[in-house]
Amino acid sequence: MNSSGPLPYVDTKPVGAADFYFAINATFRFILARYGVEGLRRYWREIGSGYYAPVSERWRGGLGAVAEYWRAFFAAEPGAEVEVHASADEVRVEVKTCPAIKHLRAGGRDIVQCFCQHCFYVSDTIGESAGVAVRVSGGNGACVQRFVPRTPTLAPQDLAQIEEAR
Amino acid sequence: MIGAYDFCGHYEWTFEWLRAQGGHELVKAYWDEAIRCDSQRHAAALIKAEGIEGMKKYWAHTLAEEAAGYFSTATDAVFRIDMHECPSKGFLIQNGLVQFGDYCDHCMGWIGPMMKDAGFVIDHEHTHRGQCWWEIRAASDESAPSAPGEMSGANDVRLRGDWPGPHDRYERATDPDDKTTDA
Repeated sequence: MNSSGPLPYVDTKPVGAADFYFAINATFRFILARYGVEGLRRYWREIGSGYYAPVSERWRGGLGAVAEYWRAFFAAEPGAEVEVHASADEVRVEVKTCPAIKHLRAGGRDIVQCFCQHCFYVSDTIGESAGVAVRVSGGNGACVQRFVPRTPTLAPQDLAQIEEAR
Repeated sequence: MIGAYDFCGHYEWTFEWLRAQGGHELVKAYWDEAIRCDSQRHAAALIKAEGIEGMKKYWAHTLAEEAAGYFSTATDAVFRIDMHECPSKGFLIQNGLVQFGDYCDHCMGWIGPMMKDAGFVIDHEHTHRGQCWWEIRAASDESAPSAPGEMSGANDVRLRGDWPGPHDRYERATDPDDKTTDA
């Protein structure tokens, strides 16, 4: 594991293989078929608190660390067009072209309808122990993800704000 | 977002998550249904239609994309891969990721049923250190696998100085459970 950089897990190649998005989509479909949407959301939460625990650790460094993570993350995703804007009270990740949706469409794949919800469930779980929350709007190829301090007055995520993928 | 860059890490984590939910049979069903029939359906279609020519095309694309250190060769009767630096297992080793019992089984988990469906059987051996070899031939061809160096010359992974050691083996197999393990 990488103990110093923004990404906890590093590869020898700079950018991931896009065909892996086929497997991510297929994994969601398999779990959805076996365990329903609540089971899929549980998978997303548990991967957020388990596999991504080293990301939570980084995010405890504050919103600057959150911004640094997403810049490095999307630089390694094939075909991503993303802007990360950081201010004192918010990190705004503007996904102009979602690399996963783009590649799934190019490959003629049926995209799991609730695919875009995974960004909320995974990231919000990663943020829990770091005092960070995310609110997602848009989806289906482009979205805005706002990372903010996790406060009691923060309105909950409205899932209706996350578009179904097609 | 769950990304492609560190895919092998969360893929391996998912094997163990599934095993905890539904045991070994659920993991096998995942490799077959989600990976073979859904994610890698393009590979299945290509190989079923074109046989060994399809294998050459599929692995040339996918192993280049994954930046693997490998050698492949083929005749009209057999397709062979010598994997010297598996990018997938190598990622896990580099990052110290071990959740599932034997990550290497996932290859036979989806490739095995795919080859069975296309009329092929597999001889395969892996080290758990990122090295393995595969020979795939028609199920009707009862030939034994090649001797070390016979097909791949000096690129044969079995000629590496670090090849000896406990291995997992599959003989004329198409099922991830058809495995024998060195003591």
